[in-house]
Amino acid sequence: MKSLLNRHASLLAFAVVLLCWEAGCRVFQVPVFVLPAPSAIVISAIDLGLPRWLEHLAATLQVALLGYAAAIAIALPLAIGITKSPLLSRTLMPWLVVVQSTPIVAIAPIIVVTLGAGTLPRVVITTLIAFFPLVISTATGLAAAPAELIELSRSLRAPRWREYTQIRLPYAVPYVFAALKVAITLAVIGAVVAEFVAAEKGLGYLILFATSSFKVPVAFAALALLVSCSLLLYALIVWLHRRLFPWSLSAPN
Amino acid sequence: MNLRPLLASLALAALGSAHAAEKLTVQLDWLPGGDKSFVYAGLKQGYFAAEGLDVTILPGRGSADAITKVGSGAADVGFGGISALMMAAAEGGVPVKAVMSLYSKQPDSLFTTPGSGIKSLKDVAGKTVATSTFSSSNSLWPVVLESNGIDPSKVKLLKVDPSTLAPMLAQGRVDATINWVTVAPAVQSVLKQAGKDLVVVPWTSYGLDGYGWSAMASDKLIKERPDTLKRYLRALNKALQFAIANPDKAAADLKSVVPEADVAVIAAEFRSSIPLLQNEITQREGFGKFEPKLLAATWGWVAKSMDYAPAKVDPEKLVDRSFLGK
Repeated sequence: MKSLLNRHASLLAFAVVLLCWEAGCRVFQVPVFVLPAPSAIVISAIDLGLPRWLEHLAATLQVALLGYAAAIAIALPLAIGITKSPLLSRTLMPWLVVVQSTPIVAIAPIIVVTLGAGTLPRVVITTLIAFFPLVISTATGLAAAPAELIELSRSLRAPRWREYTQIRLPYAVPYVFAALKVAITLAVIGAVVAEFVAAEKGLGYLILFATSSFKVPVAFAALALLVSCSLLLYALIVWLHRRLFPWSLSAPN
Repeated sequence: MNLRPLLASLALAALGSAHAAEKLTVQLDWLPGGDKSFVYAGLKQGYFAAEGLDVTILPGRGSADAITKVGSGAADVGFGGISALMMAAAEGGVPVKAVMSLYSKQPDSLFTTPGSGIKSLKDVAGKTVATSTFSSSNSLWPVVLESNGIDPSKVKLLKVDPSTLAPMLAQGRVDATINWVTVAPAVQSVLKQAGKDLVVVPWTSYGLDGYGWSAMASDKLIKERPDTLKRYLRALNKALQFAIANPDKAAADLKSVVPEADVAVIAAEFRSSIPLLQNEITQREGFGKFEPKLLAATWGWVAKSMDYAPAKVDPEKLVDRSFLGK
Protein backbone atom coordinates (compact mmCIF):
# COMPACT_ATOMS: atom_id res chain seq x y z
CA MET A 1 0.00 0.00 0.00
CA LYS A 2 2.71 2.38 1.04
CA SER A 3 4.82 1.57 -1.97
CA LEU A 4 1.78 2.13 -4.20
CA LEU A 5 1.27 5.52 -2.61
CA ASN A 6 4.92 6.35 -3.14
CA ARG A 7 4.88 5.27 -6.73
CA HIS A 8 1.76 7.18 -7.71
CA ALA A 9 2.12 10.16 -5.37
CA SER A 10 2.18 12.74 -8.17
CA LEU A 11 -0.82 11.22 -9.97
CA LEU A 12 -2.78 11.07 -6.74
CA ALA A 13 -1.96 14.67 -5.88
CA PHE A 14 -3.10 15.68 -9.36
CA ALA A 15 -6.38 13.81 -8.96
CA VAL A 16 -6.98 15.36 -5.54
CA VAL A 17 -6.40 18.86 -6.94
CA LEU A 18 -8.88 18.19 -9.77
CA LEU A 19 -11.48 16.87 -7.32
CA CYS A 20 -11.08 19.89 -5.02
CA TRP A 21 -11.37 22.19 -8.05
CA GLU A 22 -14.55 20.46 -9.24
CA ALA A 23 -16.05 20.47 -5.74
CA GLY A 24 -15.08 24.10 -5.17
CA CYS A 25 -16.73 25.21 -8.42
CA ARG A 26 -19.93 23.38 -7.51
CA VAL A 27 -20.11 24.37 -3.84
CA PHE A 28 -19.31 28.06 -4.35
CA GLN A 29 -21.13 28.20 -7.70
CA VAL A 30 -18.18 29.88 -9.41
CA PRO A 31 -19.41 31.39 -12.69
CA VAL A 32 -18.14 29.63 -15.82
CA PHE A 33 -16.61 32.81 -17.27
CA VAL A 34 -14.35 33.16 -14.21
CA LEU A 35 -13.24 29.55 -13.65
CA PRO A 36 -14.95 26.58 -15.33
CA ALA A 37 -15.06 23.24 -13.49
CA PRO A 38 -12.87 20.40 -14.88
CA SER A 39 -16.02 18.55 -16.00
CA ALA A 40 -17.14 21.58 -18.03
CA ILE A 41 -13.68 21.80 -19.59
CA VAL A 42 -13.76 18.14 -20.63
CA ILE A 43 -17.28 18.48 -22.07
CA SER A 44 -16.30 21.57 -24.08
CA ALA A 45 -13.22 19.76 -25.38
CA ILE A 46 -15.32 16.85 -26.59
CA ASP A 47 -17.81 19.25 -28.18
CA LEU A 48 -15.10 20.88 -30.27
CA GLY A 49 -14.26 17.51 -31.80
CA LEU A 50 -10.97 15.73 -32.43
CA PRO A 51 -10.31 17.00 -36.00
CA ARG A 52 -10.40 20.63 -34.85
CA TRP A 53 -8.11 19.90 -31.91
CA LEU A 54 -5.64 18.09 -34.15
CA GLU A 55 -5.67 20.99 -36.60
CA HIS A 56 -4.82 23.51 -33.87
CA LEU A 57 -2.30 21.20 -32.22
CA ALA A 58 -0.56 20.54 -35.54
CA ALA A 59 -0.30 24.26 -36.27
CA THR A 60 1.29 25.01 -32.89
CA LEU A 61 3.60 21.98 -33.00
CA GLN A 62 4.74 22.87 -36.50
CA VAL A 63 5.78 26.38 -35.44
CA ALA A 64 7.31 25.19 -32.15
CA LEU A 65 9.37 22.42 -33.75
CA LEU A 66 10.49 24.51 -36.74
CA GLY A 67 11.55 27.27 -34.39
CA TYR A 68 13.29 24.74 -32.16
CA ALA A 69 15.15 23.21 -35.10
CA ALA A 70 16.19 26.66 -36.33
CA ALA A 71 17.35 27.57 -32.81
CA ILE A 72 19.52 24.43 -32.65
CA ALA A 73 20.87 25.00 -36.17
CA ILE A 74 21.91 28.53 -35.24
CA ALA A 75 22.99 27.95 -31.65
CA LEU A 76 25.36 24.99 -31.99
CA PRO A 77 27.68 26.43 -34.69
CA LEU A 78 27.55 29.77 -32.91
CA ALA A 79 28.61 28.14 -29.63
CA ILE A 80 31.49 26.34 -31.35
CA GLY A 81 32.55 29.63 -32.95
CA ILE A 82 32.46 31.43 -29.63
CA THR A 83 34.60 28.83 -27.85
CA LYS A 84 37.04 28.67 -30.77
CA SER A 85 37.65 32.36 -31.24
CA PRO A 86 37.97 34.89 -28.44
CA LEU A 87 37.48 37.67 -31.01
CA LEU A 88 34.18 36.19 -32.18
CA SER A 89 33.14 35.75 -28.58
CA ARG A 90 33.88 39.40 -27.78
CA THR A 91 32.01 40.54 -30.90
CA LEU A 92 28.93 38.35 -30.62
CA MET A 93 28.31 37.94 -26.90
CA PRO A 94 27.05 41.49 -26.30
CA TRP A 95 24.63 41.05 -29.22
CA LEU A 96 23.37 37.73 -27.89
CA VAL A 97 22.73 39.35 -24.52
CA VAL A 98 20.91 42.25 -26.22
CA VAL A 99 18.66 39.83 -28.13
CA GLN A 100 18.00 37.85 -24.97
CA SER A 101 17.23 41.01 -22.98
CA THR A 102 14.71 42.22 -25.57
CA PRO A 103 11.18 41.30 -24.56
CA ILE A 104 10.20 39.36 -27.70
CA VAL A 105 6.50 39.80 -26.85
CA ALA A 106 6.96 43.54 -27.27
CA ILE A 107 8.69 43.36 -30.65
CA ALA A 108 6.51 40.54 -32.02
CA PRO A 109 4.10 42.98 -33.72
CA ILE A 110 7.07 44.67 -35.41
CA ILE A 111 8.34 41.28 -36.66
CA VAL A 112 4.90 40.54 -38.10
CA VAL A 113 4.77 43.90 -39.89
CA THR A 114 8.20 43.36 -41.45
CA LEU A 115 7.82 39.68 -42.35
CA GLY A 116 4.11 39.51 -43.14
CA ALA A 117 1.60 37.23 -41.46
CA GLY A 118 2.66 33.77 -42.59
CA THR A 119 4.46 30.96 -40.78
CA LEU A 120 7.84 32.67 -41.11
CA PRO A 121 7.36 35.43 -38.49
CA ARG A 122 5.97 32.84 -36.05
CA VAL A 123 9.03 30.64 -36.51
CA VAL A 124 11.35 33.65 -36.13
CA ILE A 125 9.66 34.67 -32.87
CA THR A 126 9.92 31.09 -31.57
CA THR A 127 13.60 30.85 -32.52
CA LEU A 128 14.41 34.15 -30.83
CA ILE A 129 12.76 32.99 -27.62
CA ALA A 130 14.34 29.50 -27.61
CA PHE A 131 17.92 29.89 -28.82
CA PHE A 132 19.78 31.79 -26.09
CA PRO A 133 20.04 29.03 -23.45
CA LEU A 134 21.27 26.69 -26.20
CA VAL A 135 24.18 28.96 -27.14
CA ILE A 136 25.26 29.73 -23.58
CA SER A 137 24.95 26.19 -22.28
CA THR A 138 26.70 24.62 -25.29
CA ALA A 139 29.54 27.15 -25.12
CA THR A 140 29.92 26.44 -21.41
CA GLY A 141 29.98 22.71 -22.11
CA LEU A 142 32.58 23.04 -24.88
CA ALA A 143 34.79 25.05 -22.55
CA ALA A 144 34.32 22.50 -19.79
CA ALA A 145 36.57 19.88 -21.42
CA PRO A 146 39.57 19.22 -19.12
CA ALA A 147 42.56 21.30 -20.16
CA GLU A 148 44.99 18.36 -19.84
CA LEU A 149 43.04 16.34 -22.42
CA ILE A 150 43.14 19.27 -24.82
CA GLU A 151 46.87 19.61 -24.15
CA LEU A 152 47.34 15.89 -24.82
CA SER A 153 45.48 15.98 -28.11
CA ARG A 154 47.52 18.96 -29.26
CA SER A 155 50.80 17.28 -28.29
CA LEU A 156 49.71 14.33 -30.43
CA ARG A 157 49.08 16.73 -33.31
CA ALA A 158 45.40 15.94 -33.47
CA PRO A 159 43.59 18.13 -36.01
CA ARG A 160 41.26 20.77 -34.61
CA TRP A 161 38.08 19.05 -35.79
CA ARG A 162 39.00 15.88 -33.92
CA GLU A 163 39.67 17.87 -30.79
CA TYR A 164 36.03 18.95 -31.09
CA THR A 165 34.44 15.66 -32.13
CA GLN A 166 36.36 13.46 -29.69
CA ILE A 167 36.94 15.61 -26.63
CA ARG A 168 35.00 18.86 -26.45
CA LEU A 169 31.64 17.74 -27.88
CA PRO A 170 31.36 14.58 -25.73
CA TYR A 171 32.12 16.69 -22.66
CA ALA A 172 29.48 19.17 -23.73
CA VAL A 173 26.70 16.56 -24.21
CA PRO A 174 25.15 16.90 -20.72
CA TYR A 175 25.22 20.70 -21.04
CA VAL A 176 23.65 20.59 -24.50
CA PHE A 177 20.85 18.33 -23.32
CA ALA A 178 20.19 20.46 -20.27
CA ALA A 179 19.74 23.37 -22.67
CA LEU A 180 17.68 21.30 -25.14
CA LYS A 181 15.23 20.54 -22.32
CA VAL A 182 14.84 24.20 -21.40
CA ALA A 183 14.64 25.26 -25.05
CA ILE A 184 11.83 22.87 -26.00
CA THR A 185 9.54 24.33 -23.33
CA LEU A 186 10.57 27.82 -24.47
CA ALA A 187 9.77 26.87 -28.07
CA VAL A 188 6.20 26.00 -27.10
CA ILE A 189 5.91 29.32 -25.25
CA GLY A 190 7.37 31.09 -28.27
CA ALA A 191 4.86 29.48 -30.63
CA VAL A 192 1.99 30.62 -28.41
CA VAL A 193 3.35 34.17 -28.15
CA ALA A 194 3.61 34.26 -31.95
CA GLU A 195 0.03 33.01 -32.32
CA PHE A 196 -1.18 35.73 -29.97
CA VAL A 197 0.23 38.26 -32.42
CA ALA A 198 -0.63 36.72 -35.78
CA ALA A 199 -2.41 33.46 -36.48
CA GLU A 200 -5.63 31.95 -37.74
CA LYS A 201 -5.13 28.56 -36.14
CA GLY A 202 -3.13 27.01 -33.32
CA LEU A 203 -3.68 26.51 -29.61
CA GLY A 204 -2.55 30.02 -28.68
CA TYR A 205 -4.97 31.47 -31.20
CA LEU A 206 -7.71 29.17 -29.89
CA ILE A 207 -7.19 30.47 -26.34
CA LEU A 208 -7.58 34.07 -27.51
CA PHE A 209 -10.53 33.28 -29.73
CA ALA A 210 -12.30 31.24 -27.07
CA THR A 211 -11.95 33.90 -24.38
CA SER A 212 -13.14 36.59 -26.81
CA SER A 213 -16.32 34.65 -27.58
CA PHE A 214 -16.91 33.58 -23.95
CA LYS A 215 -16.07 29.92 -24.51
CA VAL A 216 -13.82 29.94 -21.44
CA PRO A 217 -13.91 26.14 -20.93
CA VAL A 218 -12.45 25.69 -24.43
CA ALA A 219 -9.63 28.09 -23.52
CA PHE A 220 -8.83 26.02 -20.43
CA ALA A 221 -8.89 22.81 -22.47
CA ALA A 222 -6.45 24.36 -24.97
CA LEU A 223 -4.23 25.43 -22.09
CA ALA A 224 -4.25 21.89 -20.65
CA LEU A 225 -3.33 20.50 -24.07
CA LEU A 226 -0.46 23.01 -24.38
CA VAL A 227 0.93 22.04 -20.98
CA SER A 228 0.68 18.31 -21.83
CA CYS A 229 2.40 19.01 -25.13
CA SER A 230 5.27 20.77 -23.36
CA LEU A 231 5.63 17.94 -20.84
CA LEU A 232 5.64 15.27 -23.56
CA LEU A 233 8.27 17.07 -25.62
CA TYR A 234 10.39 17.50 -22.52
CA ALA A 235 10.08 13.78 -21.77
CA LEU A 236 11.01 13.03 -25.38
CA ILE A 237 14.28 14.98 -25.05
CA VAL A 238 15.07 13.18 -21.78
CA TRP A 239 14.40 9.83 -23.50
CA LEU A 240 16.62 10.76 -26.45
CA HIS A 241 19.40 11.70 -24.08
CA ARG A 242 19.13 8.31 -22.36
CA ARG A 243 19.00 6.42 -25.64
CA LEU A 244 21.81 8.20 -27.44
CA PHE A 245 24.27 9.16 -24.70
CA PRO A 246 23.67 6.92 -21.69
CA TRP A 247 27.27 7.46 -20.56
CA SER A 248 26.70 11.17 -20.03
CA LEU A 249 23.71 10.97 -17.72
CA SER A 250 25.51 12.22 -14.63
CA ALA A 251 24.29 15.78 -14.85
CA PRO A 252 26.87 18.58 -15.02
CA ASN A 253 27.31 20.65 -11.89
CA MET B 1 -19.83 92.66 5.94
CA ASN B 2 -20.96 89.95 3.66
CA LEU B 3 -21.30 86.52 5.16
CA ARG B 4 -22.65 84.91 2.03
CA PRO B 5 -19.41 83.46 0.59
CA LEU B 6 -18.43 82.16 4.02
CA LEU B 7 -21.82 80.55 4.54
CA ALA B 8 -21.74 79.13 1.08
CA SER B 9 -18.35 77.57 1.58
CA LEU B 10 -19.38 76.21 4.96
CA ALA B 11 -22.47 74.68 3.39
CA LEU B 12 -20.33 73.14 0.63
CA ALA B 13 -17.90 71.74 3.17
CA ALA B 14 -20.74 70.20 5.12
CA LEU B 15 -22.16 68.70 1.95
CA GLY B 16 -18.77 67.36 1.02
CA SER B 17 -18.22 65.61 4.30
CA ALA B 18 -21.72 64.16 4.31
CA HIS B 19 -21.26 62.99 0.73
CA ALA B 20 -17.82 61.51 0.31
CA ALA B 21 -17.52 60.80 -3.40
CA GLU B 22 -18.66 57.30 -4.27
CA LYS B 23 -16.09 55.10 -5.96
CA LEU B 24 -17.00 53.75 -9.40
CA THR B 25 -14.74 51.73 -11.72
CA VAL B 26 -15.31 52.18 -15.43
CA GLN B 27 -13.94 49.45 -17.71
CA LEU B 28 -13.12 50.53 -21.27
CA ASP B 29 -13.19 47.85 -23.97
CA TRP B 30 -9.95 49.01 -25.52
CA LEU B 31 -7.02 51.38 -25.04
CA PRO B 32 -7.95 55.03 -24.57
CA GLY B 33 -8.58 56.18 -28.16
CA GLY B 34 -10.52 59.08 -29.58
CA ASP B 35 -13.86 57.28 -29.49
CA LYS B 36 -13.52 57.14 -25.68
CA SER B 37 -12.60 60.81 -25.23
CA PHE B 38 -16.04 61.72 -23.81
CA VAL B 39 -15.39 59.47 -20.79
CA TYR B 40 -12.29 61.53 -20.01
CA ALA B 41 -14.26 64.72 -20.62
CA GLY B 42 -16.70 63.52 -17.95
CA LEU B 43 -13.76 63.14 -15.60
CA LYS B 44 -11.97 66.41 -16.38
CA GLN B 45 -15.02 68.64 -16.87
CA GLY B 46 -16.33 67.49 -13.50
CA TYR B 47 -19.57 65.82 -14.68
CA PHE B 48 -18.82 62.69 -12.63
CA ALA B 49 -17.71 64.68 -9.61
CA ALA B 50 -20.89 66.79 -9.77
CA GLU B 51 -22.89 63.58 -9.38
CA GLY B 52 -20.75 62.63 -6.37
CA LEU B 53 -18.79 59.95 -8.24
CA ASP B 54 -15.08 59.22 -7.92
CA VAL B 55 -14.45 57.48 -11.24
CA THR B 56 -11.47 55.26 -12.11
CA ILE B 57 -11.05 54.41 -15.81
CA LEU B 58 -9.41 51.10 -16.79
CA PRO B 59 -8.24 50.23 -20.33
CA GLY B 60 -9.29 46.82 -21.70
CA ARG B 61 -8.59 44.27 -24.42
CA GLY B 62 -11.79 43.97 -26.41
CA SER B 63 -15.50 43.77 -25.64
CA ALA B 64 -15.30 40.24 -24.25
CA ASP B 65 -12.56 41.27 -21.84
CA ALA B 66 -14.54 44.32 -20.67
CA ILE B 67 -17.79 42.37 -20.21
CA THR B 68 -15.97 39.62 -18.30
CA LYS B 69 -14.40 42.17 -15.96
CA VAL B 70 -17.73 43.89 -15.30
CA GLY B 71 -19.40 40.51 -14.79
CA SER B 72 -16.75 39.27 -12.39
CA GLY B 73 -16.88 42.44 -10.30
CA ALA B 74 -13.43 43.74 -11.28
CA ALA B 75 -15.28 46.82 -12.57
CA ASP B 76 -18.73 48.30 -11.86
CA VAL B 77 -19.63 49.61 -15.29
CA GLY B 78 -18.07 49.33 -18.71
CA PHE B 79 -18.38 49.61 -22.45
CA GLY B 80 -18.60 46.98 -25.13
CA GLY B 81 -20.35 45.84 -28.26
CA ILE B 82 -23.83 44.58 -27.44
CA SER B 83 -23.25 41.67 -29.84
CA ALA B 84 -20.50 40.46 -27.51
CA LEU B 85 -22.97 40.58 -24.62
CA MET B 86 -25.40 38.52 -26.71
CA MET B 87 -22.63 36.00 -27.39
CA ALA B 88 -21.88 35.81 -23.69
CA ALA B 89 -25.58 35.15 -23.02
CA ALA B 90 -25.62 32.39 -25.64
CA GLU B 91 -22.56 30.79 -24.02
CA GLY B 92 -24.12 30.60 -20.58
CA GLY B 93 -24.54 34.22 -19.61
CA VAL B 94 -22.75 36.87 -17.59
CA PRO B 95 -24.40 39.02 -14.90
CA VAL B 96 -24.19 42.17 -17.04
CA LYS B 97 -26.85 44.33 -18.71
CA ALA B 98 -26.63 46.97 -21.40
CA VAL B 99 -28.10 50.12 -19.86
CA MET B 100 -27.59 52.71 -22.59
CA SER B 101 -26.99 52.50 -26.31
CA LEU B 102 -24.10 54.56 -27.66
CA TYR B 103 -23.81 53.49 -31.31
CA SER B 104 -27.14 52.91 -33.02
CA LYS B 105 -25.25 51.96 -36.15
CA GLN B 106 -22.59 49.30 -36.46
CA PRO B 107 -19.06 50.74 -36.72
CA ASP B 108 -17.60 47.79 -38.65
CA SER B 109 -16.01 48.70 -41.95
CA LEU B 110 -13.44 47.70 -44.51
CA PHE B 111 -10.34 49.91 -44.82
CA THR B 112 -8.50 49.87 -48.10
CA THR B 113 -6.41 52.04 -50.44
CA PRO B 114 -7.20 53.40 -53.93
CA GLY B 115 -4.60 51.08 -55.49
CA SER B 116 -6.12 47.86 -54.12
CA GLY B 117 -8.91 47.71 -56.68
CA ILE B 118 -11.53 47.44 -53.92
CA LYS B 119 -14.26 50.02 -54.47
CA SER B 120 -17.22 48.12 -53.09
CA LEU B 121 -17.68 45.02 -50.97
CA LYS B 122 -18.09 42.88 -54.12
CA ASP B 123 -14.44 43.52 -55.02
CA VAL B 124 -12.95 41.64 -52.03
CA ALA B 125 -13.22 38.24 -53.73
CA GLY B 126 -9.70 36.93 -54.31
CA LYS B 127 -8.15 39.62 -52.10
CA THR B 128 -6.24 39.37 -48.80
CA VAL B 129 -7.91 41.00 -45.81
CA ALA B 130 -6.41 41.36 -42.32
CA THR B 131 -8.42 41.63 -39.13
CA SER B 132 -7.74 41.75 -35.37
CA THR B 133 -7.55 38.32 -33.78
CA PHE B 134 -10.38 39.01 -31.34
CA SER B 135 -12.47 41.64 -33.08
CA SER B 136 -16.24 41.40 -32.76
CA SER B 137 -16.35 42.07 -36.51
CA ASN B 138 -14.88 38.65 -37.33
CA SER B 139 -18.03 36.62 -36.77
CA LEU B 140 -20.12 39.15 -38.68
CA TRP B 141 -17.79 39.23 -41.68
CA PRO B 142 -18.86 35.97 -43.41
CA VAL B 143 -22.54 36.74 -42.80
CA VAL B 144 -22.23 40.21 -44.31
CA LEU B 145 -20.43 38.72 -47.33
CA GLU B 146 -23.01 35.96 -47.82
CA SER B 147 -25.93 38.37 -47.55
CA ASN B 148 -24.31 40.30 -50.40
CA GLY B 149 -23.84 37.18 -52.49
CA ILE B 150 -20.08 36.88 -51.94
CA ASP B 151 -18.44 33.55 -51.07
CA PRO B 152 -16.42 34.11 -47.85
CA SER B 153 -14.00 31.31 -48.79
CA LYS B 154 -12.90 33.41 -51.78
CA VAL B 155 -11.33 35.96 -49.42
CA LYS B 156 -8.01 35.20 -47.73
CA LEU B 157 -8.46 36.35 -44.12
CA LEU B 158 -5.44 36.91 -41.85
CA LYS B 159 -5.88 37.33 -38.13
CA VAL B 160 -3.20 39.53 -36.58
CA ASP B 161 -2.51 41.76 -33.61
CA PRO B 162 -4.53 44.99 -34.00
CA SER B 163 -1.38 47.12 -33.83
CA THR B 164 -0.10 45.57 -37.07
CA LEU B 165 -3.21 46.29 -39.21
CA ALA B 166 -2.41 49.85 -40.33
CA PRO B 167 1.30 49.20 -41.06
CA MET B 168 0.43 46.11 -43.13
CA LEU B 169 -2.09 48.08 -45.16
CA ALA B 170 0.42 50.90 -45.63
CA GLN B 171 3.07 48.45 -46.83
CA GLY B 172 0.67 46.78 -49.25
CA ARG B 173 1.07 43.42 -47.47
CA VAL B 174 -2.73 43.17 -47.41
CA ASP B 175 -5.38 44.62 -49.73
CA ALA B 176 -7.72 45.67 -46.94
CA THR B 177 -8.24 45.53 -43.19
CA ILE B 178 -11.36 45.21 -41.05
CA ASN B 179 -11.62 48.13 -38.62
CA TRP B 180 -14.13 50.21 -36.76
CA VAL B 181 -14.77 53.40 -38.69
CA THR B 182 -13.77 55.34 -35.55
CA VAL B 183 -10.07 54.54 -36.00
CA ALA B 184 -9.99 55.92 -39.56
CA PRO B 185 -8.00 59.08 -38.64
CA ALA B 186 -5.25 57.07 -36.93
CA VAL B 187 -5.00 54.66 -39.86
CA GLN B 188 -5.04 57.60 -42.26
CA SER B 189 -2.02 59.13 -40.52
CA VAL B 190 -0.10 55.83 -40.93
CA LEU B 191 -1.07 55.53 -44.61
CA LYS B 192 -0.02 59.14 -45.25
CA GLN B 193 3.54 58.24 -44.25
CA ALA B 194 3.50 55.67 -47.06
CA GLY B 195 2.00 58.20 -49.47
CA LYS B 196 -1.36 56.43 -49.65
CA ASP B 197 -4.96 57.48 -49.10
CA LEU B 198 -7.57 55.68 -47.03
CA VAL B 199 -10.80 54.37 -48.53
CA VAL B 200 -13.48 53.40 -46.00
CA VAL B 201 -16.19 50.90 -47.00
CA PRO B 202 -18.71 50.87 -44.11
CA TRP B 203 -20.70 47.64 -43.71
CA THR B 204 -23.83 49.68 -42.91
CA SER B 205 -23.96 50.44 -46.65
CA TYR B 206 -24.28 46.67 -47.23
CA GLY B 207 -27.27 45.92 -45.06
CA LEU B 208 -25.65 45.58 -41.64
CA ASP B 209 -27.99 47.17 -39.11
CA GLY B 210 -28.33 47.00 -35.35
CA TYR B 211 -26.94 48.37 -32.14
CA GLY B 212 -23.23 48.34 -31.51
CA TRP B 213 -21.22 49.91 -28.75
CA SER B 214 -23.15 50.28 -25.49
CA ALA B 215 -22.73 51.30 -21.88
CA MET B 216 -23.07 48.32 -19.57
CA ALA B 217 -23.37 47.70 -15.85
CA SER B 218 -23.11 44.65 -13.62
CA ASP B 219 -26.30 43.09 -12.25
CA LYS B 220 -24.81 43.66 -8.81
CA LEU B 221 -24.61 47.43 -9.32
CA ILE B 222 -28.11 47.52 -10.82
CA LYS B 223 -29.48 45.70 -7.78
CA GLU B 224 -27.45 47.26 -4.99
CA ARG B 225 -26.73 50.81 -6.17
CA PRO B 226 -29.37 51.76 -8.78
CA ASP B 227 -29.17 55.42 -7.82
CA THR B 228 -25.40 55.44 -8.42
CA LEU B 229 -25.91 53.99 -11.88
CA LYS B 230 -28.57 56.58 -12.67
CA ARG B 231 -26.20 59.40 -11.68
CA TYR B 232 -23.34 57.85 -13.66
CA LEU B 233 -25.45 57.64 -16.83
CA ARG B 234 -26.67 61.20 -16.33
CA ALA B 235 -23.06 62.38 -16.08
CA LEU B 236 -22.07 60.23 -19.04
CA ASN B 237 -24.84 61.76 -21.14
CA LYS B 238 -23.69 65.27 -20.27
CA ALA B 239 -20.10 64.31 -21.07
CA LEU B 240 -21.20 62.96 -24.44
CA GLN B 241 -23.10 66.12 -25.34
CA PHE B 242 -20.07 68.18 -24.28
CA ALA B 243 -17.70 66.06 -26.40
CA ILE B 244 -20.00 66.24 -29.45
CA ALA B 245 -20.08 70.03 -29.12
CA ASN B 246 -16.36 70.35 -28.31
CA PRO B 247 -14.39 67.40 -29.75
CA ASP B 248 -11.10 69.29 -29.37
CA LYS B 249 -11.66 70.03 -25.68
CA ALA B 250 -12.62 66.41 -25.03
CA ALA B 251 -9.44 65.33 -26.83
CA ALA B 252 -7.40 67.64 -24.60
CA ASP B 253 -9.12 66.10 -21.55
CA LEU B 254 -8.07 62.64 -22.71
CA LYS B 255 -4.52 63.82 -23.32
CA SER B 256 -4.31 65.29 -19.80
CA VAL B 257 -4.81 61.74 -18.48
CA VAL B 258 -3.05 59.87 -21.31
CA PRO B 259 -0.04 62.03 -22.23
CA GLU B 260 1.01 59.68 -25.07
CA ALA B 261 -2.11 60.59 -27.06
CA ASP B 262 -2.14 62.92 -30.08
CA VAL B 263 -4.87 65.54 -29.70
CA ALA B 264 -5.45 66.06 -33.44
CA VAL B 265 -5.94 62.33 -34.08
CA ILE B 266 -8.15 61.86 -31.00
CA ALA B 267 -10.39 64.75 -31.98
CA ALA B 268 -10.66 63.38 -35.53
CA GLU B 269 -11.44 59.90 -34.21
CA PHE B 270 -14.21 61.19 -32.00
CA ARG B 271 -15.62 63.28 -34.87
CA SER B 272 -15.79 60.16 -37.02
CA SER B 273 -17.83 58.43 -34.29
CA ILE B 274 -20.45 61.20 -34.07
CA PRO B 275 -22.54 59.79 -36.99
CA LEU B 276 -22.74 56.52 -35.05
CA LEU B 277 -23.83 58.35 -31.89
CA GLN B 278 -26.29 60.72 -33.54
CA ASN B 279 -28.24 59.76 -36.65
CA GLU B 280 -31.73 59.26 -38.01
CA ILE B 281 -32.26 56.36 -35.59
CA THR B 282 -31.51 58.37 -32.46
CA GLN B 283 -33.60 61.24 -33.81
CA ARG B 284 -36.52 58.86 -34.17
CA GLU B 285 -36.14 56.84 -30.97
CA GLY B 286 -34.22 59.19 -28.69
CA PHE B 287 -30.58 58.90 -27.66
CA GLY B 288 -29.49 55.86 -25.67
CA LYS B 289 -32.70 53.89 -26.22
CA PHE B 290 -32.83 50.27 -27.34
CA GLU B 291 -35.69 50.02 -29.83
CA PRO B 292 -37.00 46.40 -29.61
CA LYS B 293 -37.10 45.74 -33.38
CA LEU B 294 -33.57 46.95 -34.00
CA LEU B 295 -32.38 45.08 -30.91
CA ALA B 296 -33.92 41.88 -32.29
CA ALA B 297 -32.22 42.56 -35.64
CA THR B 298 -28.88 42.91 -33.81
CA TRP B 299 -29.38 39.50 -32.20
CA GLY B 300 -30.38 38.11 -35.60
CA TRP B 301 -26.94 39.02 -37.00
CA VAL B 302 -25.16 37.48 -34.00
CA ALA B 303 -27.23 34.27 -34.15
CA LYS B 304 -26.54 33.91 -37.86
CA SER B 305 -22.84 34.59 -37.54
CA MET B 306 -22.27 32.24 -34.59
CA ASP B 307 -24.76 29.52 -35.63
CA TYR B 308 -26.92 29.99 -32.54
CA ALA B 309 -30.57 28.97 -32.60
CA PRO B 310 -32.62 32.20 -32.88
CA ALA B 311 -34.53 31.27 -29.72
CA LYS B 312 -31.38 30.74 -27.67
CA VAL B 313 -31.26 34.30 -26.36
CA ASP B 314 -34.01 36.80 -25.69
CA PRO B 315 -32.23 40.11 -26.41
CA GLU B 316 -34.83 41.94 -24.30
CA LYS B 317 -33.41 40.18 -21.22
CA LEU B 318 -29.98 41.70 -21.83
CA VAL B 319 -30.99 45.34 -21.65
CA ASP B 320 -32.26 47.43 -18.76
CA ARG B 321 -34.00 50.57 -19.94
CA SER B 322 -35.00 51.84 -16.49
CA PHE B 323 -31.92 54.02 -15.97
CA LEU B 324 -32.40 56.35 -18.89
CA GLY B 325 -34.69 58.75 -17.04
CA LYS B 326 -33.42 62.27 -17.33
